[in-house]
Amino acid sequence: MSEQQFSKAEKFWMNFKLYQLWRFLVLNIKIYTIVVQSKWK
Amino acid sequence: MAKIVVIGAGFAGQTAAIYLGTRLGKKHQVTVMSNRDVFGYVPSWVWVGVGHMKPEETIFKLKPVYDRINVRFVHAAAKEIHPDPGDQYVVGEEIGTGNPVRLDYDYLVIAPGPLLNFAGTPGLGPEHGFTHSICSLPHAVKTRDAYLALVERMKKGERVKIVIGTGHPLATCQGAAFEYISNVHKDLLKRGLRDKADILWLSNEPALGDFGVNGVQVKRNGIVMKSEEFIKSVFLDAGIRWQVQTGVKKVEEGKIYWENYEGQEGVTEFDFAMLIPQFKGQPFKYIGKDGEDISAKIVNPAGFVMVDGKYGLPYQELVQTPEAWPARYQNPTYPNIFAAGIAFAPPGPISKPFTNPNNFMIAPAPPRTGMVSGMIGRVVALNIVDLVNGREPSHSERMTEMVAACIASMGDSLWDGSAVAIVMRPVVPDRKKYANEYGRDLFISHLEMGLAGAWMKFMLHHTFIWKFKALPGWQLIPE
Repeated sequence: MSEQQFSKAEKFWMNFKLYQLWRFLVLNIKIYTIVVQSKWK
Repeated sequence: MAKIVVIGAGFAGQTAAIYLGTRLGKKHQVTVMSNRDVFGYVPSWVWVGVGHMKPEETIFKLKPVYDRINVRFVHAAAKEIHPDPGDQYVVGEEIGTGNPVRLDYDYLVIAPGPLLNFAGTPGLGPEHGFTHSICSLPHAVKTRDAYLALVERMKKGERVKIVIGTGHPLATCQGAAFEYISNVHKDLLKRGLRDKADILWLSNEPALGDFGVNGVQVKRNGIVMKSEEFIKSVFLDAGIRWQVQTGVKKVEEGKIYWENYEGQEGVTEFDFAMLIPQFKGQPFKYIGKDGEDISAKIVNPAGFVMVDGKYGLPYQELVQTPEAWPARYQNPTYPNIFAAGIAFAPPGPISKPFTNPNNFMIAPAPPRTGMVSGMIGRVVALNIVDLVNGREPSHSERMTEMVAACIASMGDSLWDGSAVAIVMRPVVPDRKKYANEYGRDLFISHLEMGLAGAWMKFMLHHTFIWKFKALPGWQLIPE
């Protein structure tokens, strides 16, 4: 990504449902793991 | 039997109340005093403000929750705190009757949320001014009505000017304003009216994407990407203009008067403006045993409760002193008083403050809302549990240690909505621990935009309301 507008490819991936489902799972796991580690450290 | 009083039932107060009630409520007396009898899920008010969510979907009654977890509820506005040993109590005014209410305490948690200081900017705010706000539910509803009225004007072909951002040079909560501007853009796009609106982001941030936390930096493919570049791309893509490094000084009907870093003064015209006010501490009276005003022992001039931080360090020293940020949120003079959420006095700003040639200071205040509030509420509650059980407080979490995740909505649709997922560790840069110029863990910190974020925002709305209702498994949901 540059300092300009998002490219067509970037916009495509941002709304491509299957890829976003994958990102949803990855983000949830990442955030939950980090936050829970912090909570019970 | 220990008596614990929590003032406030927002993110910090409610979190503290749930932990205290479930751990101490059966054997000790836990009481929440709040001027509202409902919990409000603040992050979803951006959707209320564009008419995409009903206000009642963001609130629930407190008393039935407290009845289940052994917490007493007093529907009253706190007015006075009498902290001197021997006779420690809070005086409130019962909502509805105006009768005085006295609550004695052994431990006190001050978590009433911010005083929205609209008076700090003449002409600001929905009650006595010309701008709107999404900082309270009634304000969000009023904002929605004004926004929908604006939409009707646009449908008739009128071109309008929309300004969204901060309404005071020391305001915080830029994230909420960012969500609102993104949702307004998306809503107008869906209505086919986007070409009828000139939308401007007007903010006190030193740079775009600063959000009052000195920006977010992430490492991707070996390259450090900053939130400034990211948000710039978002705004360019949405056709949103921006003006940062600007402090709003005054508002008149249709006109915002401001001053910037260079000392230039200017006027921005608007048809609709949503500007976040400065936050201050609630104006409680702190009264000593002889009836004298002892506010200076407990709060700073802005009304925020002084806790175990190091105050008075110059900014350059503060950024090199992560231990200056409080760990237990405990007042040094009265160790049985704790402050959680926006109520505690931060030792200074996170973003670099700036004073322009006219001696006009523009400095975003540190955000202490949402996740940060909840985490502090937990730390405070668990330390009180320790103290009540005769142990030393064993919990601490400085903002220079905290990890925070923020999902900034950019359209609520689960089909074609979007949100930016932001993770940062720590919230306040720790330049001693993280050997980079940003003072952050660049591996953990994360910045990503897409439909998945919209799904997460929707999920968080429901999971957090579940947690704040203390329904089964609430402990598994992090703050």
